[in-house]
Amino acid sequence: MCLRGSVCLVLAIVVCPTATIAQDIAAPDTSSVVRKNLAPVSDEVLQVTLPRAVQTTLDNGLRVLVLEDDRSPIVTMQLTISGAGPLYESRDLAGVAAMTARMLREGTTNRSNSDILEQVARLGANLNSSSAFGSEAASVSASGLSRNMEEWFEVMRDILLNPTFPESEFERLRQEQRAGLRQQRTSSGFLANERFSAAVFGDHPAATRSATEASLDAMSTEIIAQWHRERYAPQNSILSIAGDVDASDIVSLLNDRLADWERSDFVAQLPPNPEAPAVGQIYLVDRPDSAQTTIYMGGLALDRRDPDYIPLTVMNAVLGGGPSARLFLNLREEKGYTYGAYSFFSALKYPGSWRASADVRTEVTDGGMTEFLYELGRMRDEPVAAAELEEVKRSIVARFALSLERPTSLLNYSTTREIYGFEPDYWETYPEQVMAVTPALVQSMAEKYLNPETIQIVVVGDASEIREVMEQYGPVDVYDTEGDLIEDE
Amino acid sequence: MLKRVLLCAFALFICVSPDVEAQSFEVPFEVFRLDNGLRIILSEDHSAPTYSICVVYDVGSRNERPGKTGFAHLFEHMMFQGSENVGKGEHFILIQNNGGSMNGTTSVDRTNYFETLPANQLDLGLFLEADRMRSLDISEATLENQRQTVKEERRRGYDNAPYGRTFLTLNETAYESFAYSHSTIGSMEDLDAATLFDVEDFFRQYYAPNNAVLALVGDFDTEEALARIEEYFGDIPSQPAPLELLISEPQQTAEKRVTLQDKFARLPRLDLAFKAPAGNTGDWYILSVLGDILGGGQSGRLYKRLVQEEQVALNVRARLGERRGPSLFSITATPRPGIELEALEAVIYEEIEKLKSELVEDWEMEKVRAQIERQNAQRLQSTRARANALAQNTVFYNDPGLINTFQERFDGVTKEEVRSSAEIYLKETNRTVVTTLPQARTGRPSGGGVQ
Repeated sequence: MCLRGSVCLVLAIVVCPTATIAQDIAAPDTSSVVRKNLAPVSDEVLQVTLPRAVQTTLDNGLRVLVLEDDRSPIVTMQLTISGAGPLYESRDLAGVAAMTARMLREGTTNRSNSDILEQVARLGANLNSSSAFGSEAASVSASGLSRNMEEWFEVMRDILLNPTFPESEFERLRQEQRAGLRQQRTSSGFLANERFSAAVFGDHPAATRSATEASLDAMSTEIIAQWHRERYAPQNSILSIAGDVDASDIVSLLNDRLADWERSDFVAQLPPNPEAPAVGQIYLVDRPDSAQTTIYMGGLALDRRDPDYIPLTVMNAVLGGGPSARLFLNLREEKGYTYGAYSFFSALKYPGSWRASADVRTEVTDGGMTEFLYELGRMRDEPVAAAELEEVKRSIVARFALSLERPTSLLNYSTTREIYGFEPDYWETYPEQVMAVTPALVQSMAEKYLNPETIQIVVVGDASEIREVMEQYGPVDVYDTEGDLIEDE
Repeated sequence: MLKRVLLCAFALFICVSPDVEAQSFEVPFEVFRLDNGLRIILSEDHSAPTYSICVVYDVGSRNERPGKTGFAHLFEHMMFQGSENVGKGEHFILIQNNGGSMNGTTSVDRTNYFETLPANQLDLGLFLEADRMRSLDISEATLENQRQTVKEERRRGYDNAPYGRTFLTLNETAYESFAYSHSTIGSMEDLDAATLFDVEDFFRQYYAPNNAVLALVGDFDTEEALARIEEYFGDIPSQPAPLELLISEPQQTAEKRVTLQDKFARLPRLDLAFKAPAGNTGDWYILSVLGDILGGGQSGRLYKRLVQEEQVALNVRARLGERRGPSLFSITATPRPGIELEALEAVIYEEIEKLKSELVEDWEMEKVRAQIERQNAQRLQSTRARANALAQNTVFYNDPGLINTFQERFDGVTKEEVRSSAEIYLKETNRTVVTTLPQARTGRPSGGGVQ
């Protein structure tokens, strides 16, 4: 690997043969997983280098991370502006962070929106600006050819520093978003996510998954301009760059071109953490004529700095982290209920959520519920077999090692370390920490987070078909696709 | 026995990256063939300790017969259900446990399987692909399991999603030939009717080494890799070649128009498709440039006029699909609430007429070339994308080198050619129009249908 100017450490990852594991799983006359253990697996030590990004802070407080990689003539830049995301919105202005980010590309003191699109396209570059619901930050990103990087970077700089937020374009986007509010209600995934987030996060801003008619009405270009002026601050931002660049050249370019982005005294104050739901609840969103039921179940998880993060990563991988995890093997490979069943958790500066989910055909809504609850119960009630756990941990570490071949994932690791203030050797010690997780620790994670007393269950489907099924599991609140409660338990 | 031969359209050579500053990098490769007909493309890249393997079989949903729709894709699922030395689901586990990633995909024109693994697991990837090419081991139980899984995939993607049937209807209406008019996902009835005999028959016909191309890209030594490939794949017997499939599409003589009621959609949508040339032909590259100028992203003419200036659409997009036979040039637009579909359609036709009467601008040609250069360089960063492109271009066009010459084909397109391709292809008699309308709800409505 040719990575100039970076510190290279050697990370030894032992990949062991798996020939003696789980002989008892075989059951050839059914549709369950069978292990023949005949494939050749190398037990050689895989050596992987973990290059570190060059890191510096500009005079205005902007932190810059650069990872040099000349394998292809491409440069990727991502600016993460902490403090400018929807987490800081009041509910009556839901969507203002996303609208501000989107409006950056609608005109500057130097360029109209057409100029921006045209210039970026002519250079072969790509420019984006967004802020996702649930996020604490806004982001401006660009990528393009290294040979004309200075030119496309200039457009990126312009939208960041000199946006004019023209009234006419704001009106256009507002109209588009009003239509978008209607469109999104057709998707069962959106409906499930909206209800689930409300159930888990309650009054916390992370419950918000969309703007509303009222919040769009309340927005104005003045409010957007103010959001930008106050919250797009260099001292709260990180610019991550990967690709065909020379670190010292780019840092001097940035020092020159971003000098007029002035440091402020703005400090983003996170809202108080969400409180975990006190009792379990079942929500049914009635989507008439649905061919499938979308099942979400879960609760509040943890923040990224929580010491449970790594053990929970391992627990999640056992439960539903991919096609060889328990949920997929049970609900798809054995039962044929779904195209895929997985589990996820998010961990940011505030506690995120965990959930297990799948789309199952309407007739097996009950079967799907039963298997989900069975698998969650099994995680809590039984320690994971040592052999299964070893495989899962090795898989996490091996995937981590393989991901290091991509400059963008390497850069993401550095950016994460910077955002959450981890120790410099966080990623060097990550494999050891994963390998140290024990069956008892995994089980304690399941007991702590997969709590049946407080679990929030959301199903989106045809109520006339699945309501009685769901009532077997407890009282059900029924919502319509507009998001309104139509029948209290 | 391994023969190191020069195949008809293949050259046995190594491309060396030329020392030109502005030139995008080139992908070096070598081509081989085993006695059993398996074509092999090897491309060393030692920049990271990983490799990707891709096997493309020359079979897709276009090879299906009436009553057997969806079978090529159902079969692809069966390839993960076990073979002589690999148990059901064990493929997933072996790849995951060793840090790799994998998948299989089916399109109208081909089926592919790929894995990315650490360099020290070269044997594992070759073994897994060879074992299932040699010896599929399936049962009624595994077939039934994957039949259900695929039916859920269909529900999720089409039957339970807004505009799900629009895409299916567009192809069914535009194409006359059965090969391209029916869907890759297939009908529920045909999926239900698939038997174990069908699986065995399909395997024998299409999953033979002489009907496949294997590409390997990454951190290995070519000589050593070749020896391993010979070891794992060399004794898999070849089969009589499947009959060559000729997809002929009669010249369309009148516009086709369908209106669809959609029970999930909230807004109407307009979908247009023009019959277009096959991939990798001169006219395909020309029409592809035209597509980018007309509707490739937010810098395209349609977005600028419909979304930004006149504000009659919420979104609009034009693109040219790539097929081995007749492709489709499609335009999709969602009108703003209150705007009639007819008005939107009329503005799109005005923009198409402009392409016939005036040459496109220099900056638009410049933009298309620059965008393709960047997208190509970005896409080919991964060993997986390179392996897939090398193998697929060989199956489709007998030309693995297209990975390096692709860009030049676009660079050669002229403004005059763009104008004449608009005249030839973007005309009313070559057009299919599908309009999707939200189905009005009265009480509890029943299912919709094609009108």
